[in-house]
Amino acid sequence: MIAEKAEEYAFGGLVAAIGVFTLVDATTIAARDDNAVGPRAFPYAVGILLVVTGLAAIIATARGKLGQAEEAEDVDESVRTDWVTVGKLVAILVAHLVLIDLVGWPVAATVLFFGAAWALGAVWWRALPIAVVLALVVQVVFASGLGLSLPAGILEGVPFLDG
Amino acid sequence: MDSITALLEGFATAAQPAYLLYALLGVTLGTAVGVLPGIGPAMTVALLLPLTYSLEPTAALIIFAGIYYGGMYGGSTTSILLNTPGESASIVTALEGNKMAKAGRGAAALATAAIGSFVAGTIATVLLTLLAPTIADVAVQLGPADYVALMVVAFTTVAALLGSSPVRGLASLGLGLFIGLVGTDTLSGQQRFTLGVATMADGIDVVVVAVGVFAVGEALYVASRLRHGPIEVIPIGGKWFTRDFWARSWKPWLRGTFIGFPIGTVPAGGADVSTFLSYAAEKKLSKRPEEFGKGAIEGVAGPEAANNAAAAGVLVPLLTLGLPTTATAAVIVAAFQSYGIQPGPLLFTNNSAMVWALIASLYIGNVMLLVLNLPLVKIWVKVLQIPRPYLYAGILLFAALGTYAVNFVVDDLIVLLVIGVVGFFMRRHGYPVAPLVVGLILGPMAEEQVRRTLQISEGSLSALVTSPFAAVAYSVLVVLLAVTVVLRLRRKKSQVMV
Repeated sequence: MIAEKAEEYAFGGLVAAIGVFTLVDATTIAARDDNAVGPRAFPYAVGILLVVTGLAAIIATARGKLGQAEEAEDVDESVRTDWVTVGKLVAILVAHLVLIDLVGWPVAATVLFFGAAWALGAVWWRALPIAVVLALVVQVVFASGLGLSLPAGILEGVPFLDG
Repeated sequence: MDSITALLEGFATAAQPAYLLYALLGVTLGTAVGVLPGIGPAMTVALLLPLTYSLEPTAALIIFAGIYYGGMYGGSTTSILLNTPGESASIVTALEGNKMAKAGRGAAALATAAIGSFVAGTIATVLLTLLAPTIADVAVQLGPADYVALMVVAFTTVAALLGSSPVRGLASLGLGLFIGLVGTDTLSGQQRFTLGVATMADGIDVVVVAVGVFAVGEALYVASRLRHGPIEVIPIGGKWFTRDFWARSWKPWLRGTFIGFPIGTVPAGGADVSTFLSYAAEKKLSKRPEEFGKGAIEGVAGPEAANNAAAAGVLVPLLTLGLPTTATAAVIVAAFQSYGIQPGPLLFTNNSAMVWALIASLYIGNVMLLVLNLPLVKIWVKVLQIPRPYLYAGILLFAALGTYAVNFVVDDLIVLLVIGVVGFFMRRHGYPVAPLVVGLILGPMAEEQVRRTLQISEGSLSALVTSPFAAVAYSVLVVLLAVTVVLRLRRKKSQVMV
């Protein structure tokens, strides 16, 4: 409960901080002052909205009005937040975007699907073949059918995979 | 009469085999994403945007319309058969439908939902056909100040009136408006908030933001509290084709339609309000109110019809004014824009053939959806049972793919991840994500209209409110706000008394 409240303060603070950034950075936008409304006016309005709502969210939190976590079919509200899994997924997404340019999309995609399924509790020897097949199928569909080609990376020059 | 000829021509286009296939693809995908937890129509349309660039606009929009309608049908199957509470739009269906399924009357619940959706979808599409051209004719005369008024109404209702916390809704709207500001200002050519990064000069792509908040945000959020253990799907039991079924269903279907459609058309739309109102109406009118809460078929029939009618109603401001009032509608506007088409009153004159083919495909899609969701419902039960690790791994994979396919640059994936993490925290703390998407898409349009108004008026701010239409719109908004505040206070009072 205390941790969640701290998080609420932090998120409200983030909203207000983005607002402050908007207001400060808006002053640097070059504007000719010949007509009434230039490129700065709207950013000022948005900045004020963010600062006011961010502060209001912090005040609401202080008065005990916490935000209601969203409900969804696959969400179990009775369990504690599993930060380890969230961290793993973020790390896997980072690995994916780093790997695309290094070894190509098919391998990066395999890592993403396999890693995410495994982090969420799938059996590794079942997840791995599915990941490989899925990545290769998408690669072939893109290379042949859609006219958009994904970087093949280490599989460059392989028929069907390299558009 | 003109519009009937145009509609017939639309049917001639939409009935071509290729377009029928696109419609079938759309409604099938739509039902699938509606059935599956964790993905919705908004995210699906966003994901498919980059993949459909090679299609012609009519084909792509027919697919998107099919996804939009299909998502509404699919959601009810999940809320009736899955043993866990669902999303807000289908919560009411879950209330009664889930009880019916548990009592061995699942077949009747599914049938009344599917047929009700069909009846409502079809009647509402007829109303759309009749209303849209007339509204477009009137809307052509609206000036920039009037558009500003409409957008302010849309912003306020979507952000402040719909969610449980108006402050958090407005904060979400602000974040969307901010993301919309990043890039090159269209009127002055100045760069704003790009932090000097070259790729930011074109702005942050709508696809990246939508996929980030919907797909990545949702996947991370579900992962943080994943429901483990087997997926409990209630077996479908009982018969539905009975005299009692029809006798108890047809009136709620019609009432639901006429409650849902108008609510969908005003910018306070969205499916939630209409389903709750329809549910309340059915409960009040029922001869057997004691059955409500224990599996009353009227409580499924009415809200499901209202749900679909509202979905069609949302298309009225979308097609005639270019005004999206839900997250999915906002993404569809982005889809139009990616083809260089601006939805709005001129759509019916400039892109008449396309828009009528689209409307005709809605009729056709509804028939396809009835078949997909009534005799073929068992297929979707299988889809519902996809093991969750694979489902969410797949969502992440296609989110990354869809984002990468926009420009084929890794930078977009970094933005995707950042926005996904923001979406995750928004879900944890009750910040609705729909206002963010609506703000992102309407924000740049609103800014342009404000500046055009003030250019014409040479800086006089009163020009924003002096047009009669704008004045009326702002007055209605004030009344709406006042009514909401009074209702909320009254609800609080009654809770204190209890």
